[in-house]
Amino acid sequence: MTTGPALVSILRQGSYLIASIHTALDDSQMIRFQHDLIEQIGRHRSRGVIIDVAALDVVDSFGSRTLRNIAEMARLRGALTVIVGIQPDVAFAMVALGMGTGSVYTALDLEEGLAYLDSRVSKKVLGGTVIDPPQ
Amino acid sequence: MRRIVSARVADRTTADDLVQETLVRVLAATARVEPGMLEPYAIVTARNVVASMWQERDRHRRNQHRVVDLRAPEDPGTDLLAREERTAIARALERLSERERQTLLAHEVSGQDTRSLAAELGTTAGAVAAQLNRTRARLRVEYLLALERTEPPTDRCRPVLLALSSGDRRRQREVDAGRHLLECDPCARLSEPLMGRGQQRDDLTRIPIHRDGDIVAARQGARDLATRLRFSRTDLTVISTAVSEVARNIVRFAGAGEIVVELLEAPRRGIRVTARDTGPGIPDLEQALTDGYSTYHGLGLGLPGARRLMDEFAIVSEAGRGTTVTMTKWRQEG
Repeated sequence: MTTGPALVSILRQGSYLIASIHTALDDSQMIRFQHDLIEQIGRHRSRGVIIDVAALDVVDSFGSRTLRNIAEMARLRGALTVIVGIQPDVAFAMVALGMGTGSVYTALDLEEGLAYLDSRVSKKVLGGTVIDPPQ
Repeated sequence: MRRIVSARVADRTTADDLVQETLVRVLAATARVEPGMLEPYAIVTARNVVASMWQERDRHRRNQHRVVDLRAPEDPGTDLLAREERTAIARALERLSERERQTLLAHEVSGQDTRSLAAELGTTAGAVAAQLNRTRARLRVEYLLALERTEPPTDRCRPVLLALSSGDRRRQREVDAGRHLLECDPCARLSEPLMGRGQQRDDLTRIPIHRDGDIVAARQGARDLATRLRFSRTDLTVISTAVSEVARNIVRFAGAGEIVVELLEAPRRGIRVTARDTGPGIPDLEQALTDGYSTYHGLGLGLPGARRLMDEFAIVSEAGRGTTVTMTKWRQEG
């Protein structure tokens, strides 16, 4: 991981990656986080990704767009993404700002997120609905 | 008489002057003084003359800093600097109108109070004080210009510098001082000592915006300031999100600008965010305020989103000069 432990951490937990954002990231740090995460999905052959944004006090248009992009890229790489820990005030501001993140799965916290992945990923493997990522 | 004076005044020429003055006064008074009393009268007069000279000097010393309070930090032994300063002050004084100069000198150097000045000028003491304040503000500006040996590059510069020097916030807004300082490098430099004047405002944060990291700094700065007005947590997040959007616009489209966040007390309590840049300007404002419009890979939510988040939103853009976004969030009372 090149972003350094102070800003974000990406931990491997079985076939899942748990990425926590620890502090406000600027745009270029956000983009680097996106690269690191997508790259690690391939390296660890992860089937699920949890992004914990509980520490973020602002998710603006760029932030939510990046989260949406990460989820979409992860999907193309064969992993399901769940965003967890969106604070109530942040949720309010995101709606007021008019950001549509409806296509991204969310859960209240890490525990809910893991439960959600457990329920979905096994099904997905059985169903084999994942598009092979282009190499 | 000379003995009395020189016992009190070391400087010979000054002593001579004072003796002369005493003589004049005594001669003028001979008619009123009893013949035998002339000598004691002269002695008392001499004492008075000396005392009033001391008073004068003392007052001069006390008031001097008010005439020139922009002097660079003292650097003993640099006579040259002192001389340049004197020339600058003289030149600055020349720039004042005759009446302004007379009034200022009468008040600051001769120590005439505003009331008697008002009587002479046929106006009120308050008006004289206000006039003196304006004159001092002008003197500071002219002094700085004279010291730098420059003339301001545009005719907008002087009004802006004057507004900054007088600390008049309403006037500063009228002449759009913030924008001018972004655009005009000489004024930005000249205004530095002027900005430090008056009360330091702790209800205002100014954040220069150049790169990605500044966006985070801007929203943090806005949040810190808004916290002081006890905005709700939700409003704090809403404000920082809106600041984030306008700050990003500066970085993406203009490259350089600033965000000023200030607390408002009237008409209601609230927070005002002003985002200025010196970028190319926005050609089609209506389009820029439409959801989904974006010239970079965003969601196209920057400006319309910020507008939705805040209570008041205004945008002014001029091609080639830049854009100013002003937005306000009022605090919900109760």
